[in-house]
Amino acid sequence: MRHLEPLHGPLETYCRRFVHDVNAIADVLQSAVANAFADFHLYVEGTNFRAWMFRYLHLEILNWNRKSKRDRTAELPSDLSVEDAWQLALDEPLVKVLMDDPEAVLDQCADALAGAVRALPALEQSAFLLQAIGEFKYREIAGILQVPIGTVMSLLSRCRIRLRQHLVKFGEEHGLLKPQSPS
Amino acid sequence: MNCNDARQHWNLYHDSEGDAELHFQISEHVAMCPDCAAWFKQQSRLEDLIKEKLGPQPATSVLWDNILRKTGLVRPARVRSWIWFAGVAASVAVVGALLWLWQGSSANAADLSKLAASWHEKVLAGKEPEFRPHSQNPDLDVEKYLRGRVAFPVRCPPRRDAGFVVNGAGICQLGGESTAYLTGHVDDAPVSIFVLARDSLAAFPHQQQALRTEKTHQCREGPYQMVLAVVDRNAVLVIGQTEADRLDRVVRAYGSYSDHN
Repeated sequence: MRHLEPLHGPLETYCRRFVHDVNAIADVLQSAVANAFADFHLYVEGTNFRAWMFRYLHLEILNWNRKSKRDRTAELPSDLSVEDAWQLALDEPLVKVLMDDPEAVLDQCADALAGAVRALPALEQSAFLLQAIGEFKYREIAGILQVPIGTVMSLLSRCRIRLRQHLVKFGEEHGLLKPQSPS
Repeated sequence: MNCNDARQHWNLYHDSEGDAELHFQISEHVAMCPDCAAWFKQQSRLEDLIKEKLGPQPATSVLWDNILRKTGLVRPARVRSWIWFAGVAASVAVVGALLWLWQGSSANAADLSKLAASWHEKVLAGKEPEFRPHSQNPDLDVEKYLRGRVAFPVRCPPRRDAGFVVNGAGICQLGGESTAYLTGHVDDAPVSIFVLARDSLAAFPHQQQALRTEKTHQCREGPYQMVLAVVDRNAVLVIGQTEADRLDRVVRAYGSYSDHN
């Protein structure tokens, strides 16, 4: 209990952002906590309980999302080369406008941003949320997702680019971003 | 390192990941290149704003009460009506008392810089620290010593190429907040590093406010220069009688020490 209490907020937020069926949030959290509790004898005191608990929740969410048949792992969008991604984003003129005044868009698009995260491929989504909500390091995320650390780096990098592209699109559609006129 | 190399590794730099050498090279480049400094600042600002929008929210207590009860982690409470009324009355009294205390405490809010300067003086007077490493590898000794003694993650000491050489460590309370500290020197100047849980900044409104507008906050307290920043889950304050740039370099190096495990 003393381990779990500080994690209530981050676990719940992670669940809310990742589970497809909003009505299942309580059930998913309950199953994850029950499974972790049942396996608590496997936990070694002094090791990373935060990552241990998030791994249980992550697996539980994957199960529930799979059950609801809306898992998007199969439909990976066209890939970006990580090496070139930062440059690609910079080449967009509206990205520069966004970077100059990000609040202009971000203050208006809390729901759209959450929606954009939901639209990410499952692995990118979980890597991003584990970093943003769980505040995990790459090594910890790799452990929770059971992927190599290099994959975590690629996932996060791609995810950042996709979110920026989404913000630019949102800003453009809502008239919040306009190309700078050449001076 | 050129601009392309530096920008390509922005992700690692921003996330305090990768090896110390890479961080050092990027820091050196950013310090010399105003274009990249502005670019890095913009990238980090956007990333921080996105995380702020999507970051952890407070837990829903009713939801967790149900979860813990159903999983058998807590027993259901049998609440009688008079207990409920007594509880409400007690809550009102506590809220009143807290409001009264808050009004008094906001006028005398704890100042992290004053408290850190006072503790640093104890170190200079030889009264602290409580732990001094004697092995061949003091960095590892200090890290091990601190990790077992505070509830929040401590990632220290900063790598050697930032110029900080550790010679001791300990635990103290600053403004009622549990704090890990390291003592050492940068060149010949004694320098202390105070590491708190990031959430502890709430106890120091002045510093918390400053960090809302600046990534690193520099100030003076008496003869001491200090630099404060939030690094991952820590608030890190570096203090010493030396130039702010040197202390700033130590703060930036904090957390980028390569993983020993």
